[in-house]
Amino acid sequence: MTAAAPTTARKPPLWRNVRVLRFVLQAVFLLAVGGLLLYLVDNVVGNLERLGIPTGFGYLDQPAGFAIPDSDFSSAQSLGDALLVGVQNTLKVSLLGIVLATLLGVAIGVARLSTNWLVRRAAALYVETFRNIPVLVIILFWYLGVVLRLPPIGDAFEISGVTVISNRGLVVPWFDQVGGALLFALIALFGLGAAAAVWAWRGRRFDRTGQPHRRLLWAGGTLLVLLAIGFFATGSPWAVETPERGERSTTGGFRLSPEYAALLIGLALYTASHIAEIVRGSILAVARGQTEAANALGLSGFQRLRLVVLPQAFRISVPPIANQYLNLMKNSSLGIAISYYELTKITRVSIAQQAPAVQAILLLMAIYLLISLAIALVTNLVNRRLSLKGRR
Amino acid sequence: MRGIQGWALGVLLAVALFVGAGCSLGGDDDDNGAAATDTGEGEAGGSQEGGGSLLQEVIDRGTLRCGVNDSVPGFGFTGEAGDPEGFDIDFCRAVAAAVLGDAEAVEFTVLTAEQRFTALQAGEVDVLIRNTTWTSSRDGTEGARFLHTTFYDNQRMMVPADSGVQSLEDLDGETICVLAGTTTELNLETVFQARGIAYEPLAFEETDPLQEAFIQGRCGAWTSDASQLAGIRSNWPEGQGGPEALVILEENMSKEPLGPLVRDGDDDWADAVNWAVISTIAAEELGVNSGNVQEMLESEDPEVLRLLGQPAPAEAGGTPEPFDAGLGLPADFAVQVIEQVGNYGEIYDRHVGPDTPLELERGFNALWTDGGLQYAPPYR
Repeated sequence: MTAAAPTTARKPPLWRNVRVLRFVLQAVFLLAVGGLLLYLVDNVVGNLERLGIPTGFGYLDQPAGFAIPDSDFSSAQSLGDALLVGVQNTLKVSLLGIVLATLLGVAIGVARLSTNWLVRRAAALYVETFRNIPVLVIILFWYLGVVLRLPPIGDAFEISGVTVISNRGLVVPWFDQVGGALLFALIALFGLGAAAAVWAWRGRRFDRTGQPHRRLLWAGGTLLVLLAIGFFATGSPWAVETPERGERSTTGGFRLSPEYAALLIGLALYTASHIAEIVRGSILAVARGQTEAANALGLSGFQRLRLVVLPQAFRISVPPIANQYLNLMKNSSLGIAISYYELTKITRVSIAQQAPAVQAILLLMAIYLLISLAIALVTNLVNRRLSLKGRR
Repeated sequence: MRGIQGWALGVLLAVALFVGAGCSLGGDDDDNGAAATDTGEGEAGGSQEGGGSLLQEVIDRGTLRCGVNDSVPGFGFTGEAGDPEGFDIDFCRAVAAAVLGDAEAVEFTVLTAEQRFTALQAGEVDVLIRNTTWTSSRDGTEGARFLHTTFYDNQRMMVPADSGVQSLEDLDGETICVLAGTTTELNLETVFQARGIAYEPLAFEETDPLQEAFIQGRCGAWTSDASQLAGIRSNWPEGQGGPEALVILEENMSKEPLGPLVRDGDDDWADAVNWAVISTIAAEELGVNSGNVQEMLESEDPEVLRLLGQPAPAEAGGTPEPFDAGLGLPADFAVQVIEQVGNYGEIYDRHVGPDTPLELERGFNALWTDGGLQYAPPYR
């Protein structure tokens, strides 16, 4: 470009003005995308109407007509209620799966960096096995190959009054409400408040005197004592219910259905192998100098891990681990292969019972989106709290 | 300068993308033939005006696309040679013989219970012959048009022979396995709720995990259409005790009229398929089978001549033209059907009759003259 252009403040013509062009192009783009979406929606609605299939979401008020195992759902309730049960079941397996996968994954990830050769090799074997097999195959293996092979109910393995194990479920004793619990709930709330106060007091005492605060013990102890007093003072509103084995099923106690167990184990093992690799990578990403400095300070291996390496590694690992959590939640839809009545299964059953397919699947996608966004929100909050100030 | 060049390139790419997308979408619509031409006009029911009937499209295409099952022995099953065979498969072939003159001109699409209606609605298959029960809500919300019932079935319960279960009441508290996406699930709930029997359902997508769960004792009973249970029982592995290890309870839990179905809104196609199916029953009523159809072309009976598309004998004063019912089918469609596939009795005996592993008596599926329900409307 030569410097010979005149320096008048004349604006370029409209068709060459960058700002105008940008605006016009964006408007055209928006119109094109909007037009495309409108055309697609119109096409779908038109075709559905021509086939005589109802559009709209009125079908959610129809009675479901099918039963859902392991719940109090009655077939006379609406399809909307059935979907809610599905959401509950999806969350039940996802949340517990996330917890188990994290615990196992962190343990295996750290184990892969152990100085002990056997531990290191075993962890590597675990990761390589479960990372390279499709999760559906893992779930099917656990269900068809392990859980179903437990003894049938007629030969169930029982420890009297404590547990019953068969291929119809694992049952353990549980609490059964026998009296009014409102007063106990109030006392429990008071106990939580007291525990929080003790926690703050011990923290301040530590700041003041430097003596070890042991606030977990103190707060936990306060809570437990108050809960115990509350429990007995309000006349023991909960009693322990032991499982009884019947001819076809068990009564009482808390029952873990075989489908739930297989899905949970399969998902947790698979996701844990991925989390282990992420943890290993994030530990290796912590600067070597940190480890050397910790050694120079005389910290033991475990102290070094807990006080220096893991906190820094944790920060790096949060976004990829959040991704794995979302994957686990979405993989819970594989429960359809083993008849676990989570959200996708219930949607498919309702489509087979004459719910219109297009609306039902759109609703399914929207619900999964909401759950994913909720998980992402929580992990983003954690991420934001942990990230270095300059990088926000 | 560089900024504008970048933008120009971006605009060109975007325009090219949308033009491409628009073209391919338009192309897909045309491929759907009858399904596409009334987009946005919201027509409901009635025969196609702009796009022409599926009948013409199938004739032009030269093959029939049939939605079938591949896991029910006797009805729709993959045979040892890898080809589909069964009662429903033969009716697919009968429709192809009637419309196209060739019983082998069929393209089979295997569908699961949950996919079948969506596949039909979307136009992936021309006709669905897949042991499907005729119900009001399927006629209504699924946009399906059911044709003549080919098999009157009932839902029953199958239990291990050594379980000691003799009636449905004995199953109180049991876990019951069922195939997902079927009327069976609904009926199980209705019947058991009405009788106050407690149970837990287990609905699998595929038969294989269901069978495994049943063998391992995860569920104590298996409910499905009696014809399907008979097929499964006939195939029961010897290692598990063979067919004698299972008992199908006699109690009928529901009516299951099984038959072929097509999409709503195409009367010409529906009529053509319907009469192709009915011709097999009419043939059995008149005593015409694949062995004697050529001789029957010279028959004295005017009803037989009419069915087989032969002109009435000149001395009877009939016109020299064969009877044309205006269905859009060739005059001798029934001859093609009976010669290449057989009449209803032959199809039944070949796949599900008393001499097959399924051992099903004609029962309700006998001709009305033998006390059953198979009754062909007159071809006149």
